[in-house]
Amino acid sequence: MSRALGTLALVGLAMGLVLGFLVAPRELTQGNVQRIMYVHVPAILVAYLAFGVVLIASIVYLVRRVDAADRIAHASAEVGLLYTGINIATGAIWGKPTWGTWWTWDARLTSVSIMFLMYLGYLLLREMVEDRERSARFAAVVGIIAALNMPLVHFSVYWWRTLHQPPSILRPGASALPRVFWMVVLVNVVAFALLYAYFVMKRTRVLAYEAEALA
Amino acid sequence: MTYARRAWIVLWKDAVTERRAKATLNALLFFSLLLLFVFQFTLGADRERLVAALPGLLWLSFVLTGLVGLGRAFLVERENDCWDGLLLAPGDKSAIYLGKVAGNLILMLIVEVILLALFTVFFNVDIGRALPALALILPLGTIGFAAVGTLFAAMTAHVRAREVLFPVLLLPVQVPVLLGAVKATEAALAGESLGAVTPWLQLLVAGDVIYLVAGLLTFDAILES
Amino acid sequence: MADNSGFVVAAYAVTAICLAGYWRFLRRREKNFRQRSPRR
Repeated sequence: MSRALGTLALVGLAMGLVLGFLVAPRELTQGNVQRIMYVHVPAILVAYLAFGVVLIASIVYLVRRVDAADRIAHASAEVGLLYTGINIATGAIWGKPTWGTWWTWDARLTSVSIMFLMYLGYLLLREMVEDRERSARFAAVVGIIAALNMPLVHFSVYWWRTLHQPPSILRPGASALPRVFWMVVLVNVVAFALLYAYFVMKRTRVLAYEAEALA
Repeated sequence: MTYARRAWIVLWKDAVTERRAKATLNALLFFSLLLLFVFQFTLGADRERLVAALPGLLWLSFVLTGLVGLGRAFLVERENDCWDGLLLAPGDKSAIYLGKVAGNLILMLIVEVILLALFTVFFNVDIGRALPALALILPLGTIGFAAVGTLFAAMTAHVRAREVLFPVLLLPVQVPVLLGAVKATEAALAGESLGAVTPWLQLLVAGDVIYLVAGLLTFDAILES
Repeated sequence: MADNSGFVVAAYAVTAICLAGYWRFLRRREKNFRQRSPRR
């Protein structure tokens, strides 16, 4: 099952690559650099999905104490963090030629960095609490609080700064970007999501093995 | 024993312990005074700049002091083997949480008020007009800090690298509340109307409610062991 | 307008390295376990 997922994910990514470079036209104002968006945007969208899964799995774990839920939360947080890192890195690489700077404290970048730090702390907590059961419980609490915090972070930082392009997805109103852009992004979102599922499946399996070995 | 009474007892116990020992409050006041000096030495050459940065410096001091103070929130129980007493207490453990949060809140507010007074004296700022607004902003900002801080303090009390893990977990989560508090304080000190401050206050209230509810619901899970 | 292809390549390369890196991390852990207790 996981191999099928993995292959599908790779196919998706390959498609995304082809579409992004050969099918999508060169953008008028930004030039080639705009193609970076085809990985930058899907990465953060699937990261949000991943952290949403962490929230649900954490709640399930606290309520039902099912070990599988704990493992899913752990794996999902790792992949989410990975994708967030990719988003931040590609964002910076895009930003340098476009804005002239690697970094700026605008709303979106700041928001995403805070999210990165929260979940990094989550993984750090898991590392540092020795007792497995306690680690699972504490991580679940942090997973829930981190997720609940995201809307607060989003609004507070957005009100504080607005340099970034208005979030074209999470805000109502007409999109300024051509349809073909969204098509490529969609393909990559699906590909990244499939890859996320594949990663989580393998990671939870590894976590299960490790838990058995210690038992 | 009612829920409220149990929370009150925890608060009362902490208050009495603190009044007898006076250790934490004194240490925190001293620490915050030192921060004031450090700010003056590192930023003080240009008074204009310092005054402009005042809201930020104020809340920075509150946060740093809070990190030190809250980090020790459950230390008293740990050191005196009262931890098991807490665990074995019958009924809803979230009452303990509420009592602890209230205690930490009061402690922090005392430090904050004194620190605010010191700031105005040392940096020669007039905050008279802003006082009513500040009277609202300070508690709203601190409740959020105390709510999550108490929760995380209970968690990290067990961990070896407590001093590192506690700030690492707390600070990113605190950003919205911190932002809201600083912005609101800025507006208040600049003499702006209530309208300018209100959206930030709403953010603070929303944050406080979310954190308190989350804490009340999850504290039980943290204390189990 | 400058081509900036270098940046595009860099961005995609970073993405590929991160994803491949995590995949290798998973593979290593799984192999490690299979060696220690040959089961499935």
